[in-house]
Parts: sequence; C-alpha cells; structure tokens
Amino acid sequence: MNDAPPGVIGAWLHSFEEDTETTAVYRPRDHPFRPARRVRRGLEFRADGTYVELRPGPDDRPREMVGRWRAQPDGRIQVTFPQGHGRPYELNVLSCVDGVLTVAK
Amino acid sequence: MTEYGSPQPPSRDLCATMLVHRQLLNESMTYRSRRAAIENRALQYERGRRASLRTEVVTLPVVVHVVYNPKTPELNIGDAQIHSQIEVLNKDFRATNSDVGNVPAVWKPLVADIKVEFQLATLDPNGEPTDGIIRVPTDQLSFSWDNGVKASATGGSDPWPSDQYLNMWVCQLGGSLLGYAQFPGGPPQTDGVVILHSAFGTTGTAAAPFDGGRTATHEIGHWLDLYHIWGDDDGACTSDDKVADTPNQADSNTGVPTFPRITCDNGPHGDMFMNYMDYTDDAAMFMFTQGQATRMNACLEGTRASLLVGQVMRMPAPAAATSPAAAVAAVPAQQQPAHNGEVERLLHDSERLTNEILTDIRSALGLVTGDTGK
Ligand SMILES: [Zn+2]
Repeated sequence: MNDAPPGVIGAWLHSFEEDTETTAVYRPRDHPFRPARRVRRGLEFRADGTYVELRPGPDDRPREMVGRWRAQPDGRIQVTFPQGHGRPYELNVLSCVDGVLTVAK
Repeated sequence: MTEYGSPQPPSRDLCATMLVHRQLLNESMTYRSRRAAIENRALQYERGRRASLRTEVVTLPVVVHVVYNPKTPELNIGDAQIHSQIEVLNKDFRATNSDVGNVPAVWKPLVADIKVEFQLATLDPNGEPTDGIIRVPTDQLSFSWDNGVKASATGGSDPWPSDQYLNMWVCQLGGSLLGYAQFPGGPPQTDGVVILHSAFGTTGTAAAPFDGGRTATHEIGHWLDLYHIWGDDDGACTSDDKVADTPNQADSNTGVPTFPRITCDNGPHGDMFMNYMDYTDDAAMFMFTQGQATRMNACLEGTRASLLVGQVMRMPAPAAATSPAAAVAAVPAQQQPAHNGEVERLLHDSERLTNEILTDIRSALGLVTGDTGK
C-alpha cells in the first residue's frame, strides 16, 4: 500500500472529454460532470484494498465489479477479481494531482 | 484490519452472509426465470411462430413523479415540460416525429409505427381523478442509480401499481447519468424509468443536446424489452440486440455521426446510429425498426399485458371504470386460453431454466466453499 500513488484513494469517474490519444482522465465522483448518454466508467480505490469498478450496464446505469487493488513497487496498480468474475489487469497511473487522476491508455 | 467498530463473532457474520446470499440467489433465480420466459416469447414473435394480434393503437397510462429539493426550485419542473415529453413519446412511438424523414433511404422500409401512445393518468389507483403528476419534495440533493428515487423511505416517491401504470421519475441524477430503466421481469416496486430533469421534455429545464425528449423514448424502449443496438458487448462484434433487422454494430455511437459509419464488417450501410437504442444525441436518433416493434409487441402482449387489460377496462364504458374492484374481478376473464405450441414452449422454458438454476446453485456452492470452479 505504501507504494500507492499519493491521493489515489477515492472514487473516480471517467472524464472522457479530457482524454488524449495516450491518456485517460478521471475526476472525483462528485465533480460536476456534463451529462452524457454513454455511461462513464468508474474506478474506486478503498484504503482496505477493495477495488470497485463501474462498467456501463444494459439498462443505462453502471454495474459494480468488486475486486482487489495493490500498488506495485514500480507504481503500477495491480487489479484482480475473484476467480471467474473478471480478468486481472494493471493500471499505470501517470499522475494524481489536484483531483485529476491520469492513467495511461 | 478494520479501524472502525467492534469485531463481530465470525459465526454471526457467516450466518448473515449466508442469509443475504440466499436472498440474492432467490431473487436472481426468480429474475432469471422471468427473463427466460420473456426472451422465449420474444423469440417466438421474432421467428413468426407467434404474431401480434393487435391492430389498434394502445394508450398506456403514465404517472410522472417529480422529486425535487425545494432549495433548487427549478427541479420542480412545470406541467408544460411534462406535457412536452408526452408529446415527443406520442410522435416517436407512432413514427410521426418530424425528423423521421432523415432516415437513410436504405432503412426507410424498416421504420416502424409501434402503435403505442402515452397519456398522463386520469384516474389514480383508488379510482379518483388525477392529472397524472405527483410532486414530492425531498432532502436529497441528487439521486444515484440505486432506485432511491423510487421509494419514499429513501427520499423518493413510491410507484403506482406498475402493472397498471408506466411510472416515470424525474429528478436530479448524479454521475452525469441521463436516465436509467428496468427491463420487464424485474421487481414491481422498482419498475419504470428514471429521467434526469434536464433531459426530460423539450422546454423548461431541458438542455441541449438532450432537449429533444429522446432519453425517455430510449428508456421506455428498454422498459418494453429492447436492448442496445450494439448488443452491450463492449466493442466486440459477438453479441447483438436479438433483433434481426438492426445491423450488428461494435459499440455505442455518440454525438451526431455521419452516415455511413462502418463497424463489425457491417458495410456498406454500417451502424444504424439513428436508432433510438443507440447513444447518439437527441437530434441524431429518430427511428425504431419493424423488428424492434415485434419485440415490444411480444412484451406488451406477454409480461406487460396487464397494461392492455387495464386499457380495455378503462376505454369502452366509462361506467365500468369507476369501480376498481370490478376491474380487478374482470381481469381473469380477459386471459387467453392456451395457444397451440404452449406445451412445447413450456417444456423448452423448463429445460433452459433448469440449466440456469443449476449454474446458479453451482456458483453459490463455489462461493461458500471458496471454490469458484470456472
Ligand atoms: Zn440504454
């Protein structure tokens, strides 16, 4: 946990309007986002290691996927889900300053 | 590990977990069985083994719940905004919307008149006159996607019986959502659609580019069992919307795309992004297809048939509608006798259900024993 990028704990929503070719931008869930028809993806890092991902669902609301997150020594974040509930993946956090979380695409 | 509260005896934890789990499993199995039956019926209609008997336009009674925080008075939207939404629905579901002419020539033959109209309820559940609009003040600043707006216990407004009314909740929504729906077969106490106030209707607080009233058209599409046109497969081309005349497309489209937009080898015409069940802007969506009409009919004459029965009770003789008790008593008489193929369909349903329930049980056992198997 000590290797976690500072400030990453919390619930984030995809601010896709701010994405670039190579980076995805997330902002805190209570940010005044512009309404959007495509459901925003969400990431939540809890201090106890719980990870909650929000994925667009078929009824226009997000579906929660609960897993675990762990910071790697190189600063990347390893995400895993209970067996059979989703493939593990890595997040490469590029920066997390002033309420803006930037992740490599 | 935990910083807060006192640790509970593990046995109690396990027991509570098991109870919650069993409840979820029960709900899941009930929902699965209902969805399987609904899907089976839709398939019968799609394959032409059953056809809609309906030639008349049906009118569905609507109740609009305006749930607003008095500190933000504009959330208590005006009657005109509500009426503007009903007008849009009555054009979109009759293919009389002014922009239907923008459908590309190649798909014009597919444009469908759903023959469904919407009317603010004139009688409440007790048979008393109403304007079909309920206004409920709340302390909540905004609502999430957790159905909170649908219950007074959570600061929302309780539904009217969802087998007789289409419930529409209008409120402030968090997370930048425009709205959300519930597919047929779900719990009756949360049945209906929720729409962000600024994506509702065409006047008042409605704001571009979602001020064409199309969020409600889309959500009611789900409520009548339509899936997203891209098949909710996250950009893969593996799954579609279970409607044959809509092209397979990769992912949702947004904004105002230019025709043609090719994905999933679906050229030369590409994605039907002007379909109400894509994610384009209000100004860029303007059609349902014949296949979608068939699917909605399967739903309306199946799991949502009680709304049609209600209409029969309400329409012809005003005198008959004054007694809710008489209406309820008359319902069984309206039920159809078993059709040919009913037995075959039931057998097919049972087989599929048994398999699904077995999968659920194996999965539940796996969670308890820590062996998730798959
Ligand atoms: Zn949708």
